Order: sequence, then C-alpha cells, then structure tokens
Amino acid sequence: MDRPPMMEYALRLETPLLLPPDPRQWCAAAWGDRLPEGRLAALYFGTEFCEDRLPAPGEAEAFCALAARRGLEAVLLTPVLRPAGLARLDALLTALQAWGRFPAVVCNDWGAWRLVRDGHPRCARRGGRLLNRGLRDPRALEAGASGVGAGAAGGERSRLLRDFLREGGAAALETDPDLEGGFLGGAGGLQRTLHLPFAFVTSGRHCLGKAAAAATPRGGPFAGAVDAPCCAPCRRGPSREERDDTPVPLWRAGNTLFYEVPEPLAAAHLAQADRVVLHRRPAP
Amino acid sequence: MKILAPLRDWTEAAPLRAAGADELYCGLTPPGWEERFGRAWVHRRNPASAGLPGLEDLDRTVAAAGPVPVYVTLNAPFYPEGATPFLLDFARELVEARGVRGLIVADLGLVLALRQAGLAGRVHLSSLATCTNPGAAAFYRDLGVARVVLPRHLALAEIEACAAAGVEVEVFLLNDGCVFEEGLCATTHALGPFCLGDGEGAGGPEPGVRERYAFWKWTLNNCGCQTSRGFQLGPCGLCALPRLRDAGVASLKVVGREASLARKESSVRLAHEARRLALAGAGPERIREAVVALRGAPELCRGAHLCYYPDVWAVPEGEALAC
Repeated sequence: MDRPPMMEYALRLETPLLLPPDPRQWCAAAWGDRLPEGRLAALYFGTEFCEDRLPAPGEAEAFCALAARRGLEAVLLTPVLRPAGLARLDALLTALQAWGRFPAVVCNDWGAWRLVRDGHPRCARRGGRLLNRGLRDPRALEAGASGVGAGAAGGERSRLLRDFLREGGAAALETDPDLEGGFLGGAGGLQRTLHLPFAFVTSGRHCLGKAAAAATPRGGPFAGAVDAPCCAPCRRGPSREERDDTPVPLWRAGNTLFYEVPEPLAAAHLAQADRVVLHRRPAP
Repeated sequence: MKILAPLRDWTEAAPLRAAGADELYCGLTPPGWEERFGRAWVHRRNPASAGLPGLEDLDRTVAAAGPVPVYVTLNAPFYPEGATPFLLDFARELVEARGVRGLIVADLGLVLALRQAGLAGRVHLSSLATCTNPGAAAFYRDLGVARVVLPRHLALAEIEACAAAGVEVEVFLLNDGCVFEEGLCATTHALGPFCLGDGEGAGGPEPGVRERYAFWKWTLNNCGCQTSRGFQLGPCGLCALPRLRDAGVASLKVVGREASLARKESSVRLAHEARRLALAGAGPERIREAVVALRGAPELCRGAHLCYYPDVWAVPEGEALAC
C-alpha cells in the first residue's frame, strides 16, 4: 500500500492560538499514543456544519496570518450552504483575496465548489467529509455493523466521485471514519485526509442551542427559525449527552451530534490517510 | 405545479390518479440485491414497508398509471462497494424496458454513473443530496439532471433563489417531517429513527427547550400518526402554494409511501383542492380557511405548528426572533 514516509498533520482551530510542538498533543493524550509520528502541515478554520459559524473576514485573516507565520497551509472549512451563506462565502473569499490570502477551501456543498472553482480559482479545492454520506450511527457501531472498515481494500465505493473531483481539479478528499470504509480509496492524485478523533452522527438546520437562546417566533423556535440569525451560543463548546439506545456517549456541538471513534475504526481508516486533521473538541 | 404522490402497491395507482395525482413514485429493490448486498437498503425508506414487492408489480403500476409518469427511488444516501454497476443495469432496465419515466437518486456516484450512461436526463436529484442554494442547483443542472428535489428545511425565499437556477424544482408539500437534515443524517432507520430519542437522555437540553423540541418532533411525526376527519395531521406547505407557483416550482411532493391508501388519497385530495385555489388566485389565508374547513385541527394552523414553510406568514411586529 502506498504510504507517505511520515504522516502529515493539520490542526483544526476555533481561535488563533499557540500551537503545540507535537501536533498529536492537540487532542486527548490517549490519541497521541495511537497516532504515528508526523509533521504539522496545515491549520484548519471555519465550519463544516453551520453557515452561521462562517468566520468574519478579519477573523479568517487572522487564521491565515498565523498559518503564514508558521509556514503552514491555511484551510477554510465550509458547510452545506443556503443562498445567503453562499453569498457570505463569496464575500469572505473576496475580502481575503484583497488581503493577499488564498486559503484552500474544503467544500461540502457543490454550490461552494462551483463558486470557488469559477470565482476564486487561486484557492485550492478539497472535497469535504460531508460528501461521504456513509453510515456513522453509534447504534450500528455498538451492534457490530458488518463491514466496519472492510471496504478499505477495494476502494471502489467512491471511485466515481474521486475521479470526478480529481478531473475537476480538486487537491484532496476528506472524511471522518464511517462504518463502511474505503471512501478515501488508494493513492491516486488526491491527498487523502482523515478527521480525528470525532465522527459526526447527524446534523441539520435546527439547533437546540439556538432554540434555547431565542425568543419563540410563529412556528416555534425550530421550524419558525430556520432562516433566523444566530448568535452562535455553541462557541462556548460542546455538551455531553447520553442516550438509552446506545452506550456510546455523544457530544452536541451546536446543530451537530458527534462521537469519539473507537481506536480500531480509526486505525482501519488511518491506513488510507495521507493527512490527519486533529480536532481538540467537537465543533460545528 | 404537478402533484407527486407515493405508492407501495400497484392497486393504489388508479385511486391516487382519481384523487388528483399527476405523477407517482415508488421504491423497488432490484432482484438479486439481497443476495449480493445483504440488508443494505436501496432506498431511504424500509423496502419491506414502503417498497413494491417486485418487477411484476412495477409493470402493473406503470400500466395502471396510464399517461401519469412513474418514478422509482434509488435514493439511499450511499451504496456499498460494487453496488453502482449493479444499480446502473437495473436503472437501464427500468427506463428502457419497464416504462419508468425517471429515477430519484441521492448518491452522487450513482448520478455520475447514470450521466456516463447517457441517463442524466432521467434523474431527479433526491432531497437527500441537500441541494440548498442556487450554485448547487446550477451544478446539478450542468450535470444534466432533469429535476432537483429541494430539502425540507428551506425558507420560501431560499426556494425561490434555487428555482431561479434554471433547473426543474420539486418541493415538499405534505406529511412526514425530518428532525435533522435528511441528507446529513448518517444514521439508519433500520435501527429505528434516531431523531425520536434525540435530546431525551442524560445531559440533554434544559426542560423548557426539551418540551418544545418534543412537541416539534411530534408534529413532524404526523402528530403521533394521527388523522383528523381522515386527513393526516402532518407537516404541510399548502398555504405557500401561491409563492411556490410564482417561483416556478414544477412539482409538489406528498410524502409517505408506507401510509395506508386512505391517508394517501386524502392527502392528494387536499393538495388538489389547495392547488385549485392557488391557481385561481387565492392567497394563503383563503387556502388555510379551505384546508381547515376540510381537515379540521385549526389550532395547529393558528400556531403555524404544521408549516413546512412558516415564513409564508409575516411575523408580527415585536415577535421577530432575537438571539
């Protein structure tokens, strides 16, 4: 199997912070022992799950500046977008471009992909983890779902998508560990990137944090608030939740639920990765 | 604006047509699928409770539908390794030999395979593909898909923006909500709907939010699967029809393949009447009056609790959401 001599690491930041000397120190200590040695190559910022968390231009510029000072690649995460979010992303990239910043953009939305390709071609495009619609159900994890990581050998599952991305000029394809495996495929023109240690379970436009912080409009704080602005109370961090139907503890981070992936699942996916993006905590 | 109705048995085609359906859709598992791919679903919904039993039933459905087009779902969010070529052969048979007019597809890999096979023009992009902005709609238009089904949780202005991208658009009109964004929910209904237990366990939201969340989930679940005067009490976009008409929406989706024929028929009749009013120039208030007169349950309409598109109603001054 084609493997880089050392793993390449990236850190997902929520604020521009001091960076650890060893990237593996970014998440819980147990993970540091499980991960291979490697060098820090990139800083990730932005959001994969909620357009209300797209950074303002000044905030994004600070991340880009930090990355530039450290000689690292700056990578902007972007979520599935509604029309207003797509316009905000366009404005954000335009502002960064005016400051001479051209971060790579992780696209989880084909409208974002098209926008970056046609409107901001100096920004590298990366296929985001939401393009992988594979199963991450913690109940299936506990039930011992067949084929956990088993597709890793063939790599045919997402071949057409990978071909499409590569021919369309993508630099990379990303995922977190799903229960099917094989999404990143073999080496072949796209950098294969794995997000650890958290996998998303489910996400959506309705957010308990937003509902708790909001007044109640007509239609209630859920349906009635889909297009209402949000002050992002999720910036305070995730909250732990438990369910009766699975022993796997979950984190609720804004509009998204996550769990920490078990080591065997992570290991099966690590064998296919060229880059690992480490998250210190779940965040939308 | 066509009314698209679900079915799970060929005998439902004629009564649904009579009730006002202009298009029909159903699910069907390919012969030999289980032997090769085990219990993985070909569709988002449970094939045992929501699918046609076999190809003979599909042939009967197409025959019973007459001039009304029949679409078949192949809309699982992803497929196991090796499934795409298998499904491509099945898709060819459906459209070339079985009279199926189109395929409702979510997985981009399958969309790309169908495109390579010259069948993109038969693809309706499922709501599970989460096309939520005009750029994404233009992306799929450029791939050649015939129609994009927009996900549930879009505001009317957002639907209007997507519809302006120059691809045919379908939206949800009646029944069966979804707590999360359907295409971004990596759980499986084979283990039961994950969303029903969300927020109920230890560490969940504080009681006030939990209560409102539970109520909202109950409305999405067709108010606990209730009916009123024979009409399903579920999510509803009927009062938005005037704006959907003006936006150029092509098709209006009635959801719920698993439901009884009586529930599906009554839903289609209700949609048909509301559409008649909208096409005659009625506004949201007039449509709501007519719907409540038929269906009852005015209290659920007063609070906009069933609304797919509550933004059809202007928020009174001082009640705007503050965060």
